[in-house]
Amino acid sequence: MNRNEAEQKLKQLFGFDRFYDDQWKTIEHTLKGERMLLIERTGYGKSLCYQFPATQFKGLTVVFSPLIALMRDQIKKLNELGIPARCINSEQDDTENEAIIKGANEGKLKLLYIAPERQENEKWIDATRSMNLSMVVIDEAHCISVWGHDFRPAFRRIISLVKLLPAGFPVLATTATATRRVEQDIVQQMGGSTVSIRGNLVRPNFRLRVVKVKSEEEKMVWLGKRLEQIPGTGIIYTGTRVNTEIYSRWLEYLKISSVNYNAGLDASSRKEIEDGLLNDRWKCVVATNALGMGIDKPDIRFIIHTQIPASLIHYYQEIGRAGRDGQPTYLLLFYHEDDKSLPEAFIDGGRPSPQKYQRVIEALKAAPMGEREIMKATNLTRNQVRTIKADLIEQKIINEVKSGKLKKYEYRYRAPALNTAAFEELRKAKIADLDKMIEYVHSKQCRMKMLCDYLGDLASSKCGECDNDLGKSVTITVDKDWKEKVEAFRSEYFPMLEVASSRTNLLNGVAGSYYGVSAVGAAIHRSKYEHGGDFPDFLLKTTLKAFRKFFGKEKFDLILYVPPTESGDLVKNFAAKLSSALGVSISHKLKKVKATKPQKVFQNSLLKSDNVAGAFDYRPASDINGKSILVIDDIFDSGATMKEIGKLLTELGATKIAPLVIAKTVGGDVTRL
Amino acid sequence: MTEKKEIPYLIALTHSSQLRIEQINALLVKILHEKQSTLEAFFQGAPDSWKKDFSLDEKELDGVKAAKGELPNSSFLTEDLLEQGYEVISLYSTEYSKTLKENLKMKSSPPILYVKGNKQILREDSIAIVGSRDASDKSLQFTDNIAKRASQQYKVVVSGFAKGVDKQALDSALKYKGHSIIVLPQGIMTFDSGMNKYYTQIIEGDVLVLSTFFPKAPWSVQLAMGRNPVIYGLAKNIYVAESGHEGGTWSGVMNGLGKGRTIYVRMPEPGESNANLALIEKGATPVDFNGEVLEREVGRVSEQMGEYKIEAKSVEKPAKQSKGKKRKRGKKKAEKDDTQLDLV
Repeated sequence: MNRNEAEQKLKQLFGFDRFYDDQWKTIEHTLKGERMLLIERTGYGKSLCYQFPATQFKGLTVVFSPLIALMRDQIKKLNELGIPARCINSEQDDTENEAIIKGANEGKLKLLYIAPERQENEKWIDATRSMNLSMVVIDEAHCISVWGHDFRPAFRRIISLVKLLPAGFPVLATTATATRRVEQDIVQQMGGSTVSIRGNLVRPNFRLRVVKVKSEEEKMVWLGKRLEQIPGTGIIYTGTRVNTEIYSRWLEYLKISSVNYNAGLDASSRKEIEDGLLNDRWKCVVATNALGMGIDKPDIRFIIHTQIPASLIHYYQEIGRAGRDGQPTYLLLFYHEDDKSLPEAFIDGGRPSPQKYQRVIEALKAAPMGEREIMKATNLTRNQVRTIKADLIEQKIINEVKSGKLKKYEYRYRAPALNTAAFEELRKAKIADLDKMIEYVHSKQCRMKMLCDYLGDLASSKCGECDNDLGKSVTITVDKDWKEKVEAFRSEYFPMLEVASSRTNLLNGVAGSYYGVSAVGAAIHRSKYEHGGDFPDFLLKTTLKAFRKFFGKEKFDLILYVPPTESGDLVKNFAAKLSSALGVSISHKLKKVKATKPQKVFQNSLLKSDNVAGAFDYRPASDINGKSILVIDDIFDSGATMKEIGKLLTELGATKIAPLVIAKTVGGDVTRL
Repeated sequence: MTEKKEIPYLIALTHSSQLRIEQINALLVKILHEKQSTLEAFFQGAPDSWKKDFSLDEKELDGVKAAKGELPNSSFLTEDLLEQGYEVISLYSTEYSKTLKENLKMKSSPPILYVKGNKQILREDSIAIVGSRDASDKSLQFTDNIAKRASQQYKVVVSGFAKGVDKQALDSALKYKGHSIIVLPQGIMTFDSGMNKYYTQIIEGDVLVLSTFFPKAPWSVQLAMGRNPVIYGLAKNIYVAESGHEGGTWSGVMNGLGKGRTIYVRMPEPGESNANLALIEKGATPVDFNGEVLEREVGRVSEQMGEYKIEAKSVEKPAKQSKGKKRKRGKKKAEKDDTQLDLV
């Protein structure tokens, strides 16, 4: 097929008149059965480079994509064009996925989108035995490389697959963001004969700005004063889950419509927010970088970072989602010099210590285990276990095997010793990436050129639109008025404790403060661990305030408190003071019937739940039956204790159980986006 | 080692071409040995060149075409297989068991061994112990004796992972700190429970799990029968603890004798209703409870064996050279034995 013939078909099938040169070059190679890597900016039209060939092949094209939102968008569009395409993913139930696989087996589909993790699924692998396969596509191919900004272990298996696919079988990998180093790494992993095509990365409609601030407060004030002046809708990226909540509540406080989004939300809430974003339901979505890749909204008018990303490639990738329609788009990066401590913490905490790796290895030498069993055997967090097992698989120390429906991990015969040199090399590379990001903040040169240079597009020239090129800089003044607004907001800001479930009569509770971000943590610590006496009165005041704001309209019959593990009568005395302040009677009959360890020694929620399971009792039940109960504790961490007490009190007939604590920890938030 | 890239081709050719093992092996010789080429290069060729350069007939050509059509699918399977820590050894790999190749020849050596565990075991001296699923205590004790002796002599015990003698052979070998090969009657990826049960022994290098079938094939009678020649083939010496007059052990021994192999059968005690004696009459070599060949130690045997004293004594020469005579003598005894059985 020559270009002319192909473009006639393009017109019939997709309605476009012609291909861009790089598109046609890619398609031409692909149709010949070659392996390709295509690096083009977001919005260029990379997907056409596999969608078109897919319509020309006899069999099925399998597209590995990590982004469910993107799969959904593309499938909708393809189906509208009458091209049979479907996806299988974890958000659809088994019956639906199986029906789609059946369709693929019967040759009814041209494209099938799947998440890379699916390669670990037995049913999928079995299904591939009878599919007529014509092409494999790897979307977001930068996830293949550990030198990229978003390495994902699931892609390791995709690369193993590509290496095993027969010669002459077309494979296309696409990405918008790959430095020269990442590009070489991908090409080398896909096989030396892979042809790489790289396009221009300049986004001429981007208005890049850096806003240097002296405090978190200045960021809040700038947003309060100026956000509504930016036309259209957009995204604010924060560094942590807690900050998505705080910034979104701040905007809400100022009556600016917003919603917070992070990976802690369930799938349906996330989808709802993604849909809302597409339909401009809010001025902005405040999110961690869990939102974004693959959101196909052409007119995101601004992206604001309240926290510096870990590298320029992260930054380019995250802002790349904005302004696909080519209209002027604002990209603001706030920077306070303390901000770099968060990405530094990510880098340092990115890998558990070698001793923790050894703990997993020793556990697996004794018996094959699933992820939960490893967590229980090693007292490591889920994230630590996931990182460790991905590395151990990569280093061929353990295997992931299927045992019935479960995934198990087994030690490998003659496994090599753990190689930590590779981790250190990666750590150094990440520090260098972060340094470059900070250099961007302070740089006086064209920001777009700096981004493009870093990404390996050396041909770009000045954009003429960034703050440096225009000789402008964005500044903030915090007047008294705004200072008071921020203070008022902070004094009324109370973290929510999400424990409500359909199985118990627990309500979501409230905390007086976050443990780590205020004087509250230090005060609790003094009382608890430094013989500082009762919790000070200001904690009582904050907690009462939180109660009034959150539960002001609720009626309570009884106050209970969590019996102590190691801090004596602190919580009891605190609860007694609350009882007299609120005029609700207190009971001391909630007892511990099993010795428990302090929850903080357990690193994961499975062990925390085990620790408190069946640990409490209350007699007589008649005190509880039909009552509305407030349960007091000092610190709320995983929620396991509250949930256990909620379960007990529900069984005893409580109609309503509301948790109220002095502080909620944020510990996990640094590593959980 | 078999190069990873070649594995999907090998799997497709072995399991999707519908060709006989002999045809597959002959083609592999041509491609890899005579032409010093690779399967990748071969499969990229056109049917014309397959026909011309490799002189394939029409049926073989169809087989290769069918295999080619399955290549991408085979790649998916291979990725999953390797990811789970299974390894693939091709007939042309230096890791392939030399004993197996010598015993089964080109005609029936499996083109692929799927394994997990310590591959070095394939290079070690080996014996197999076979017998019924519902063997007597005496047979199990014999199995234990043989496994003990083998383990002490650093010989690997090959067995088939069935109940009875197979299981005893494996467990005894491990009990005496020996090495063992489990030859599966199924595809290697369907053996979860066994992998879990022998986990420690596998990761410590005492056990090699081996299958020659399509990795996802479930257990079947057909595969169980098909595995017997592999057990016999992997072993330098074969010991039979107990055989019935039909079934897997019987046909396996008959097959082995037909190929001219020496097979040691436990000399039964009077009153045992198994077919051990019948096998000895068919030409198998009788051994005592500890696996000692009876012909060679006539004196001791005569003491132990009582009733068989005269027959045992009358054996004049070592087993290999006396096949003809032994068979004749054996025949008489088998008839007698059969008669007895009929009466029972």
